[in-house]
Amino acid sequence: MIKSVLVVEDEPNIILSLEFLVKEAGYKVRVARDGEEALRAVAEDRPDVILLDVMIPKRDGYDVCQTIRANPAWKDLRIIMLTARGRAAEREKGLALGADDYITKPFSTRELTLRLKQILG
Amino acid sequence: MTPRTLISLTFAGLIVAVVAVAGWLAWSIGADGVPQQAVREMTLLYGSGAALAVIALLGGAWAALDRRLAAPLRMLARDIETAACVDAKHEVAPAESDHLTELTTAVAAMMHELADARRRAADTVAEASRRAESEKGQLETILRDLHEGVIVCNLNHQILLYNRRALELLHMTGEMGLGRSLFTVMNRQPFLHAVEILTDRLGGGQPAEPGDDRMADATQPFMATTADGRTTFEGRMCLIPDADGKATGYVITFEDNSRRLAALGRRDHLLSEATEGLRQRVSSLAAAAETLEAFPAMAAGKRQAFEKVVFDEARHLSQRLDALAAEYRELVTGSWPTADVYSANILNGVVRRLRDDKGIPVVMTGLPCWLHGDSYTLVELLDHLIERVREETGAGEFDIEAVPGDNRVYLDIIWKGSVIPAGELAAWLGATLTGAWGALTAREVLEHHKTELWSQAHREGYARLRLPLPAAVEAAPEGSRRRLPSRPEFYDFDLLRYQKYSGALGRRSLKSLSFVIFDTETTGLKPSEGDEIVALAGVRVINSRILTGESFSHLVHPGRDIPEKSRRFHGITNEMVAGKPSIREVLPAFKRFVGNSVLVAHNAAFDMKFLKLKEAAAGVVFDNPVLDTLLLSAYLHDHQTMHTLEAIAKRFGVEIQARHTALGDSLVTAAVFLRMIEVLEARGIATLDQALAAANSMTVFRARQAEF
Repeated sequence: MIKSVLVVEDEPNIILSLEFLVKEAGYKVRVARDGEEALRAVAEDRPDVILLDVMIPKRDGYDVCQTIRANPAWKDLRIIMLTARGRAAEREKGLALGADDYITKPFSTRELTLRLKQILG
Repeated sequence: MTPRTLISLTFAGLIVAVVAVAGWLAWSIGADGVPQQAVREMTLLYGSGAALAVIALLGGAWAALDRRLAAPLRMLARDIETAACVDAKHEVAPAESDHLTELTTAVAAMMHELADARRRAADTVAEASRRAESEKGQLETILRDLHEGVIVCNLNHQILLYNRRALELLHMTGEMGLGRSLFTVMNRQPFLHAVEILTDRLGGGQPAEPGDDRMADATQPFMATTADGRTTFEGRMCLIPDADGKATGYVITFEDNSRRLAALGRRDHLLSEATEGLRQRVSSLAAAAETLEAFPAMAAGKRQAFEKVVFDEARHLSQRLDALAAEYRELVTGSWPTADVYSANILNGVVRRLRDDKGIPVVMTGLPCWLHGDSYTLVELLDHLIERVREETGAGEFDIEAVPGDNRVYLDIIWKGSVIPAGELAAWLGATLTGAWGALTAREVLEHHKTELWSQAHREGYARLRLPLPAAVEAAPEGSRRRLPSRPEFYDFDLLRYQKYSGALGRRSLKSLSFVIFDTETTGLKPSEGDEIVALAGVRVINSRILTGESFSHLVHPGRDIPEKSRRFHGITNEMVAGKPSIREVLPAFKRFVGNSVLVAHNAAFDMKFLKLKEAAAGVVFDNPVLDTLLLSAYLHDHQTMHTLEAIAKRFGVEIQARHTALGDSLVTAAVFLRMIEVLEARGIATLDQALAAANSMTVFRARQAEF
């Protein structure tokens, strides 16, 4: 079965790359452009991984992450946080709220696909 | 009755007596019937003549005495009174009577001396005033030329002194009003906070290393606004101590930093734009470029889209960079006023404020440690957060704790109830902190400390807010005594072996018990040979929480010299214990603090021996169950040879902040003990009885080992 990835991001230029890269890596990909859309997308069809940007409209990435983790039915869902904010405290906050990994922008595309592969086994 | 009246009465009495005797004689002569008429008349005539003569004589003597002695004495008294109370130069009138000449001369000489002494005193006062006046003049000159505003206040915040610069900075013309409250011109809270922090340090209300220079540094940075909120100031406060070291007032020095703060704000924004703000653009650019390179066979349409991204983002980046560089050139700034702060100072402030102002019970727990930040805005932030958590979750009680982490310190707010959702928390951060200078939001306080805040589950049923802060910039001071070896293990295990087992208490789980973890510092290692306690401290542990705010810490006068060797070990000198209570007074207070709690100490046999030897003298008995972390450590890690407190702390990952003070060691032992309870439970040792038995099995083992 093909694993699926949900990209949660509001910046169209980065969506272009992320969508392309994930597809090329052999996964199914969907895109959500804000926090509420992301949660709706998860509820509709649970993905295996979420690439979750922190600074998104409506509900921010931390909020989405914590909400997902509060639902036991989604505990297998892997969350990789993507953020343009590089402080240690932010990284720690992401992990404390239940993210599995945390990638700071700008990132190397090769590293991103590598981490995706690792996390999906 | 004055002497003069007495004399008058005496003489009057004598005259009455003479008249009475004469009258009686006359009557008896008449009545008894002296036969001859002539003799009778003669006797009466001479008799009354003699009586009259005696009366006249007495009257004359009285008059003479009154004129020559009583009246001059009264005059003299008046003169002395005048000289003493009114005019020292008042002369004593020369005596009219020869009998009083000596007395008047002596009094005159004395009054002369008095006048002289008064003149000398007046001269000294005048000289001192002149000197004070000139020193005041010099001080005023210095203050006038200072670039900073200076205000001196007493502890009621009444202004005692200020300089011209202070007036200028406060935009005041004319007088600021000596004796008026500082708060008529400045915003109240920052000053109350700074005074609180400084008196806390001065009084040593919380455990900190006595040798720690940062405590001795009695100045506190603050930020404040004018009462009308127009201008923001940055300054420092220091307390003015009296001879006994008690604060009597404070000096503040301050400068206008409104412009600098605005510049700082712009700089922060700029920096954030230049680093974090560019990430997004660089990220899109890099991803597109790397993808283009990695997939040369991409369809032409797709490829065009990627190329457009590369082009757009690159152009945008260069434009943004130009704008940032232009803005940057106009900025000259310093940095936010932050300092190394002892967590207990901040948390104490929060506890006091919430308890006193809002009636919210907050307990400070855990080991205090040093962190880096602005204590005032942090107190404001924590205060605000606890209130919001209470509103949101209905929690009534809170713990606050500083937890040391990797190069940072977490300030945790803990309550019984549920976690605060991240979205909710983000909304709180937009609120303006009421007491803070200017209009500062919680978010801005986080930004100044370059940190984040989140809520997560704590232990079962509890949640916490976690605020990471940078660790202190200066490493904890390394005194020479810190490197001295620990005291040797002390073997008098009988004290532990025969302790009272308590039925119901013994069956209770370790986690449910109330403990007092204590430590002593002593003049030496041989209590039976005259060594004495010089410091005794303890801290309470309830429900797996170290109640830092509930601690006992006393220096004790040992009634003997403290040898150099032990002085170097614990840093307590003869001067430090001078005037301190003796162990006979301290021990009953400690007993009251301990109550029925289980006592815990590292190498408890040593400390218990000292307590036991003083029980009779102090009139108290410590029959509480005693646990020894040294023996428990031997039980848990018997393959390890090192069971010093340092070694165990390291093994359990407890950071040591202030060793070899009684309270510092108690806190470390408490932290170690809490972690030990977890490990003991995992090894099936859950009740007090089981823990005592485990420790006892070690006493046999250790004692045997000691025989070799």
